[in-house]
Amino acid sequence: MTTTENASAPTGSFVSEVSSASLIVTCGPGGVGKTTTAAALGVAAARAGRRVVVVTVDPARRLADALGLDAGAASDAPHRVTGLPGIDTDEATGELWALMLDAASTFDRLVHEQTANAKQAEAILENPVYRAISGSLSGAQEYMAIERLHQLYTSGEWDLVIVDTPPSRHAIDLLEAPDRLIGFLSHPVYRTLTVGQRAFAKVTNAAASMFLWAVRRLAGPQIVEDTVEFFRSLANIEPGLRKRAGEVSVLLRSDAATFVVVSSPRAEAIGEAEHLIGALRDGDFPFAGVVINLIHPMPDPLTPVDRAALADIGDGPLADHLSWHDELTDLAVSEREELAVLADLAEDVSVVELPLLAVDVHDVAGLVGLADQLVGGN
Amino acid sequence: MTDPAEHWLRSTRVAVVVGKGGVGSSTVAAAYALAAAREGADVLFVAVDGRPGMGPLLGGRELDQNDRILRRIKGAGQVRGRTIPADQAFGDYLELRGVGGMLRRAASAASLPMIAAATPGLEHLLVLGKIKELERDRAADLIIVDAPPAGHAAPFLRSASGLSDVVQSGPVRDQAVEVDAMLRDPARCQAMIVTLPEETPVTEAIELANELRGDVGLALMPLVINACWPERPGLSKTPAMAARSQKVTLSASAKASLASSSVFGRKRLERQHQQIDRLGSTLGLPMVTLPRLPTPRLTLHHLGVLADALVVPLVEPNAEAST
Repeated sequence: MTTTENASAPTGSFVSEVSSASLIVTCGPGGVGKTTTAAALGVAAARAGRRVVVVTVDPARRLADALGLDAGAASDAPHRVTGLPGIDTDEATGELWALMLDAASTFDRLVHEQTANAKQAEAILENPVYRAISGSLSGAQEYMAIERLHQLYTSGEWDLVIVDTPPSRHAIDLLEAPDRLIGFLSHPVYRTLTVGQRAFAKVTNAAASMFLWAVRRLAGPQIVEDTVEFFRSLANIEPGLRKRAGEVSVLLRSDAATFVVVSSPRAEAIGEAEHLIGALRDGDFPFAGVVINLIHPMPDPLTPVDRAALADIGDGPLADHLSWHDELTDLAVSEREELAVLADLAEDVSVVELPLLAVDVHDVAGLVGLADQLVGGN
Repeated sequence: MTDPAEHWLRSTRVAVVVGKGGVGSSTVAAAYALAAAREGADVLFVAVDGRPGMGPLLGGRELDQNDRILRRIKGAGQVRGRTIPADQAFGDYLELRGVGGMLRRAASAASLPMIAAATPGLEHLLVLGKIKELERDRAADLIIVDAPPAGHAAPFLRSASGLSDVVQSGPVRDQAVEVDAMLRDPARCQAMIVTLPEETPVTEAIELANELRGDVGLALMPLVINACWPERPGLSKTPAMAARSQKVTLSASAKASLASSSVFGRKRLERQHQQIDRLGSTLGLPMVTLPRLPTPRLTLHHLGVLADALVVPLVEPNAEAST
């Protein structure tokens, strides 16, 4: 049956990205198959002979299983994906690896890297405020996805690093994460608290003392001490953090990197994808194209003669067939109208349309099928 | 309008509607608001992250931090709507605590992001605290909270218990304790989990349900399974068999056209039944199914269809499993 294939008429391909880019970032609204797309791009690149690592964030269980990841428990170290047809042979050079982002341990690694010695690192790592915020600081997960990408990219071990971004209503957070961290470190209150390592009692800056007073009034004295201590110890690694944020910001705009936006044909998803494409273009980020996923198949139309013959049938199983045919056709037509908006917006880049499958992708074979469509091997 | 339906739609004062990204939880929250208003309730719809389009979908203006009437139902209730931005919740909170200009100036000098960075979960807690105040003041018969999407719903609801690990004293702790008490009282607050009849969303709904029932101590309303394909038993036959049983002769081209949709529909319906059975038997909660609407762009009319579908007898998990 051709019902699931005829929705897919790829008007583009990511074949050049998977064979030559060093970094691919997939982004888009939640629930559109972003992680699956990232994994399928990884499969395509491995099959093209490259050594690839895919960084995932919170993958669905079945996909995590397919990638050999233990869902629920973050596995921060890359793990080799086995069972890929065509690359598990001796002469093949391609390799696919995957890991699940663990924001807290990436932050820990950053602290270790940026501190002069183990004692300094421990002072930060054991601070209760640090422990509480390293996984939840506003934008921390987005920043850590980018930080992990930088670590993997600079390690020199990989031909291609693919990063799937955290689900975010404002997916743009990711792109702004390095700048936001710099903004945080430049905040006058933060500066006063850390400059010169003064004792808390001697903090004279009005804004900073008010800040501490506000925190004390709201959350009690213990957290004030921890907070001041945390900001002080952070001061040791601040130049490193600032430098790193700057490097990442440059890397994401370089020729080595490229962005792929993933969407579905639903109006809300398309709206978010449009917003994201605008932000990528405004920010001068390299933009490879759009994957529009989960498109309903378009049934073959009934001829006017057939329709006339079926006009008067009463209730029954055939009426079910007819009403279902009409409903699926209406939905498929209106989805194509919605996604035409996105295709227009991305007319100078690749647009790949993928059908909603009767069965979701849940194993390596499914990823291979998707990979073929993403690189135009349909 | 059946009694059991009215019973569950109005069984609590604060209903937090949650679901992973892409399952349509905001739309379901809006349909719920409409259904309850049709039953006569004065409903306040609260969008936590202020996603655009919700006010117009309910028939009013775009939501902002002012409480506004979006829609009046003749002879019944009404839907009001608002957002709760964290900084406004912060200001209201300070005012409520009687802390005067000094602390407010301190807060603005330091800026909420700085304080929030030092006190993780504070922004969520402030928003929940504001909802708690609205509930205590009986600001509406029913407050429907459109919770943050994706992975943020559980941290949002856990902020109260999570903060007490870091914060040992002070008004933030008091606030956390009071919010926690509201979340644990089913007469005051319950959660409505929204999912889709597909494998991954169902797995995630099961995880979310266990997390909310366990850690957070929230009572759960019936599960809402959104975007269900309509039941069409005739699809279990081929077009040719279906035609024979209705004594109609199909041309070859008509058979092929109908087969091009029915194969896809049959597979999706089978999977839908499997997933609804799995959800029912794993969680043992009653369920409501909402139809998949044949449009990618929802209007007020569609919202009415979903509101109607919410006000039906519940599907008990056992009954569903046996069909």
